[in-house]
Amino acid sequence: MITAVDDDLWSAVGDPTRRRMLDLLLADGEGTATSLSVRLPVTRQAIAKHLGVLDRVGLVHGTPAGRERRYRVDEAQLARAVAQLSSVGAAWDSRLRRIKLIAEAVQRAKDIR
Amino acid sequence: MEYGSIEREIHVDASPEVVFEVVSRPEHISQWWTDDARYDVAPGAVGEFVWGDRVQVVPMRVVSAEPPRLFSFRWCHNDGDVDSADSLLVTFELTPSGSGTTIRLTETGFREMGWEEAKVAEHYLDHSTGWDTFVPRLGDYVARLVSAP
Repeated sequence: MITAVDDDLWSAVGDPTRRRMLDLLLADGEGTATSLSVRLPVTRQAIAKHLGVLDRVGLVHGTPAGRERRYRVDEAQLARAVAQLSSVGAAWDSRLRRIKLIAEAVQRAKDIR
Repeated sequence: MEYGSIEREIHVDASPEVVFEVVSRPEHISQWWTDDARYDVAPGAVGEFVWGDRVQVVPMRVVSAEPPRLFSFRWCHNDGDVDSADSLLVTFELTPSGSGTTIRLTETGFREMGWEEAKVAEHYLDHSTGWDTFVPRLGDYVARLVSAP
């Protein structure tokens, strides 16, 4: 079942810059648009925009810190996104089971002939 | 966030020649995975995987086709550009094992593009073509296959 929330979650993590930002926030524990812009080849304004996207889908939460906002990763929401990703491995398992089933049926049919 | 490649092994009671056909030919792939698949089983050939009534079309490129031991392709290219190396590489390696074959599947290039695949998987869950619909179809399918000239 697809929900609008999941679609937004996917497009939020679908962007490489935003994933690098999540990496940095996880490594550092927290960060601001300014602190992240020092370490990424993107302007502070662009970083602030990306943080807004991540905030809207609940992957990060911001708290006021002087003139900026300080962001932390919501690990529960991130875990949810990662769990969806791990479903890719499960999908290959079921494809391989079907490959096995088809190949063995073809082989049996050939043997009977 | 590091997500390694996917590696799987499965034993199949069928010859490497049969297994190679099943993992590589588009008419087989559309039985175990997609709703439709179009490509030539030849290195460099460009084609597509299709779900639904062309609701989702994913370009792919055949990388290796060495019957009966190796078949590999790239898909989930960045921006749908099949010339891009920024994509997922799926490899089937087949090894004779007893009277059957061991399939070793790997999917690499995962860190960046895995999100794209997960998105496809999320929209077209394998469950929709799962055992319930699949098993009844298989008997007919194999019968057609074997009776074909």
